[in-house]
Amino acid sequence: MSERSDSKPESGPRISSVLIVDDEAKIRSALRQALEREVETIFEASHGRDAIAVAEQKRPAVVILDLGLPDMEGIEVCRTIRMWSGVPILVLSARMDEYEKASLLEAGADDYVTKPFSTVELRARVHAVVRRSHMAPVPGSEAPIVIGDLIIDTARRVVTSRGADVHLTPTEWGLLRVLIANADRPVTHARLFQAVWGQAAGDVQLYLRVYVAHLRRKLEGDAYRPRLILTEPGVGYRFVLAP
Amino acid sequence: MSPAPSPSTALRIGRVQRWTIAYLVLFAVTAAMLLVRSDLEKVHVALLFLLVVLIGSAIDGNALGLALAGSAFFLFDFLFLAPYYTLGLANQLDWLVLASFLVTSIVAAQLLAHAQRRTREAHARAREVEGFSTLGAETLNAAEPVQALTAIAEVIRATLDADSCDIYVHRGRDAELELLAHASAPKAGRSSAASASVGSLLASVGERNEVAVERHDGTVSLAPSAEDGNASGSGARGWALSWGEIADARAIAIPLTVRDRSVGVLRVANEPHVDLAPGQRDFLNTLSYYAALGVERVQLAADAAHTAALRDRDRLKNALLAAVSHDLRTPLTTVKALAHTIAERGALPGDANAISIEEEADRLSALITDLLDYSRLTGGALHLAPQIESADDLVGAALARVRGIVQTRSVRVAEDAESDIPLGHFDFVHSVRAVVNLVENAVKYSAPDAPIDIGVRRLGGKLVISVADRGSGVSEQDRERIFEPFYRSPRAPPGTHGAGLGLAIARGLALAQGGDVTYEARQGGGSVFSLLLPAAEQPALAE
Repeated sequence: MSERSDSKPESGPRISSVLIVDDEAKIRSALRQALEREVETIFEASHGRDAIAVAEQKRPAVVILDLGLPDMEGIEVCRTIRMWSGVPILVLSARMDEYEKASLLEAGADDYVTKPFSTVELRARVHAVVRRSHMAPVPGSEAPIVIGDLIIDTARRVVTSRGADVHLTPTEWGLLRVLIANADRPVTHARLFQAVWGQAAGDVQLYLRVYVAHLRRKLEGDAYRPRLILTEPGVGYRFVLAP
Repeated sequence: MSPAPSPSTALRIGRVQRWTIAYLVLFAVTAAMLLVRSDLEKVHVALLFLLVVLIGSAIDGNALGLALAGSAFFLFDFLFLAPYYTLGLANQLDWLVLASFLVTSIVAAQLLAHAQRRTREAHARAREVEGFSTLGAETLNAAEPVQALTAIAEVIRATLDADSCDIYVHRGRDAELELLAHASAPKAGRSSAASASVGSLLASVGERNEVAVERHDGTVSLAPSAEDGNASGSGARGWALSWGEIADARAIAIPLTVRDRSVGVLRVANEPHVDLAPGQRDFLNTLSYYAALGVERVQLAADAAHTAALRDRDRLKNALLAAVSHDLRTPLTTVKALAHTIAERGALPGDANAISIEEEADRLSALITDLLDYSRLTGGALHLAPQIESADDLVGAALARVRGIVQTRSVRVAEDAESDIPLGHFDFVHSVRAVVNLVENAVKYSAPDAPIDIGVRRLGGKLVISVADRGSGVSEQDRERIFEPFYRSPRAPPGTHGAGLGLAIARGLALAQGGDVTYEARQGGGSVFSLLLPAAEQPALAE
């Protein structure tokens, strides 16, 4: 804490540019100071329309978007940017909006932090969404994933835990693949349903809960204290690659 | 039988006057004929008398016709058939003339009266049909249910040619009656409207389901409204009131019922008295049912409006809480972020205080969360979205959230060996909050190194998440009070933070979704708080 290095970022390489969208100048200023050491260039916008324009012209590496904008709904800003850009979008939300988060993710947001958030958490999330956007899409994840003494080889469909084979059913595999393909970001219940069960009849809500529980019991040390498959209340699940 | 004067007759004169006029005409004709008696044939006399009888029959019906026929019979015999001024007859054939005259007069008078009655009835029918068709058009046309009801009142009033027709409805659950629709004739003032003293009469009409007749002398008679109780239940009903009782009525009050439920009272008033022909009684019966349906429609519309208002209020409440939540958290976000930045730099003396600022901001944020959750809970603005959820997710998410508070303390989770994957049907976000509150409570009221034990099990139809600590427990008299809002146990360790809402919120959230939070003392010391939520069965799944 007393070390005074203002060049070394906390959790990853410096990020080229960030667009901060918030109608409150003080929050923008606080965010700017919190991210100064992590980011080379910081752009600011106070309105949705400005945000869309800056995102188009400056092509920031990440957008931090507050929901309460004066001119348009945050979710609309998300949708509009998503129409032509894959830039990671991190949403700042109030705790009240738990059920709204899912629709934001559906509209193209990558992740969210809940106000009032800690600076440490914010930095970690910013780095995570940027890291993800640099990763190659699904084909790149063919290499086996090693998390502690757990090895997941999605290409060969083999999971070993402490050297012993773990048997997964086809549905469990399907679920795990979707989670890994979206590693380090929340995946909504709706997207998981769609990807694993498609248009299947029956209570998919129930299936999802039960299969996640099965997966945890096979992969995690303690199903009640998961380190890999985290629950995002009211939203969905998040697979953590580096717990 | 006393036929009512035809409403179409403009002559509003009494019966005595009409009889007097008829007899004056009879005497005048007789006198005129006496003057020219020598020139008259018997047939002239008979025809002229017949004419008078028919006039009498026309102006006041059968009875006057018959009376005139009798009188003319004697006058004919006495004055115009020889020998004059005696009832005896010189020519026995004259008896035939007299008898023919009498029979002809009586038959003609009867026929005429009958025809007139028919005409009047036809007129009344035509008015009723017109009334019904107007009613249909008006009620279909009316945008507001109250307008439709007013149209019904006006149709009833016009068809019965009454001064006024009022419809009163029950407001709320009490028997209080309120005038909802009023129709009055242009000629009548509001004098015929029900006075205050009539209010209680109307109330008893509605309450006892009886027809009331108000008379000029101030007396009132009540009679059951339906033939046999209320067996019919729907459709037009009859009244057991004898119509003789209505003779001197200045107003009639009829209860309005729909499906055996009293919805209001209809009152028809007229000066000097309410005249109802038989057909009009049926008409009134039928229309009172229309009025009852109209009243019901008004009440349903009012209920719908009330529900919509409540929904709007809830929406407003939610919007307000969301706005307050946003407005309170936004400055906290700034404070927290700036404090963190200052603490990191650590260059200036006193920057260590910045860490305290960040901690205090967190405390304030938790307090705001408590207060907002509590006001949502008590203000009826709680949004619940219950669905199938697993205990794994619930406990896992709660433990992830309290990680900062629990820190190095040992938290053990034990699952009932019998259950496969414990499932429940509850609102996830709010249930996580309840579990978090119970764990926070356990952390607060036990020693910093004491372990906390979380148990997951099925108990009947409930999924039970229990949180057990090794704290000092709760005294017997405090066991319900700890769930009261803002209650702080005297045993709370000094420096304990929070508004004293944690347990109240946990229990409120559980109750709102059909669960509960219970307390029991723990064996060997400490407390066990259990969150009960509706359990869900796990069906056999494919694979």
